[in-house]
Amino acid sequence: MIEKGKISSFQMALIMYAVVVATAILYIPFITAQQAKRDLWLSPLWAALSGFLIVLIITKLYKLYPKKTLVEYSELILGRTFGKIIGFIFLFFLLYDTAIAFREYGEFVESAFLHKTPIVVVTGGIALTCAFAVHGGIEVLGRSATVFLPIVLVLYVMIYLFLIPDLNVKNIFPIMEDGWIPSVKGSLAPHAWLSQFSLLSFLLPLLSDETKAMKWSILSVIVSVLTMVYINLGNIFLFGGIITNTQFPVFQAARYISIGSFFEHVESIVIAVWVLGGFVQLSAFFYMLVLGTSQWLKLPSYKPIILPFGFLIILFSIWSASSFQEMIHSMGTTTPFYFISIQLLIPMLLLCVAVFRKKLRQAK
Amino acid sequence: MKWGGILGITALLMLIILYEWPKLKKNIRKMQVVFFTVITIGWVLAILLILFPNMPGPSQLIDFIFKPIGRYWEIS
Repeated sequence: MIEKGKISSFQMALIMYAVVVATAILYIPFITAQQAKRDLWLSPLWAALSGFLIVLIITKLYKLYPKKTLVEYSELILGRTFGKIIGFIFLFFLLYDTAIAFREYGEFVESAFLHKTPIVVVTGGIALTCAFAVHGGIEVLGRSATVFLPIVLVLYVMIYLFLIPDLNVKNIFPIMEDGWIPSVKGSLAPHAWLSQFSLLSFLLPLLSDETKAMKWSILSVIVSVLTMVYINLGNIFLFGGIITNTQFPVFQAARYISIGSFFEHVESIVIAVWVLGGFVQLSAFFYMLVLGTSQWLKLPSYKPIILPFGFLIILFSIWSASSFQEMIHSMGTTTPFYFISIQLLIPMLLLCVAVFRKKLRQAK
Repeated sequence: MKWGGILGITALLMLIILYEWPKLKKNIRKMQVVFFTVITIGWVLAILLILFPNMPGPSQLIDFIFKPIGRYWEIS
């Protein structure tokens, strides 16, 4: 085992929640609204299906190969050569996914606060911070998740509670104007985000109480979906039809808060607290990437490759999209298919082969 | 401008190497090889990105592979 630290199932659930929701609340409402229009709050409910499916597959695989991560058991299931290839495809995906997450973080901070700062400075700064956290190991991640995420979760809820006077519930009507197809189409991006639960595979071997793993991961999916529904509902109540043109609705909503004309301009607090969630998310991605790579190469430790990989992530985050518009466009059209096909199909394939092999062994 | 970028990247990577070297020296050979391979990949890629900022990358490959299904999803 490379990692000696242990986390509890509750901390695992918090880390996975951060991995999915931190960037989801920024981008999901805008991307979903392009297709789903007023039904955008229904889309995460469809996406919950892929979240549950992936959690079931990953926990089933973990039961067949205890104390192993996806990169390790893919070699045991498919043999050395094919296992290494599948492992490489998955790790390359993880590198790309991590880079996209850093880019999302950078674009948001830049367009919200630091307009003139080069994006490399923003992403590089958080990458260095995350590198320290990753260097500390999984326990540091687990504890920062337990400390930060309750604050972040309260913030998400508070934004729309403060806006209650401005919310117009009638904006939600007509529900399913064009049938249920638009909401299914809009669910593409939430599907992609929730398919990230396949990364659970890297955390399961580190648990100190494995019996509760299933319960907490399902709960984590449910809370993630409910958060997305809540954020989307709040946005449709607040913005109505113009939601399709609002790039960062949650941030715009925070700007809108004004209570008794003295409680205003809370958007700086919102960003400061959001960055805490973003930090947990990015360090979790970063950690899984270096851990997976060192397992793939069978290295004794992951610590020396943290900084080189941080550099590589920043490069990929610049390389992955030439502009913000391009990134948003590909996130609504092609990238989700990449996410789903890697994170849903690879574990499915592995599970099919593993079950088949087990049957074959029993028949002998 | 471009030379400055290349020099800056090289200096940054040298700093990373200097920071890690004392611990890395005692590590096994494989670890050192992996470390320097990743550094080299990063260095080459960084210089390519400085010289050709619009170089097609993984995103273009993903677009190319998933475009047909993406278009179908958008229209129907």
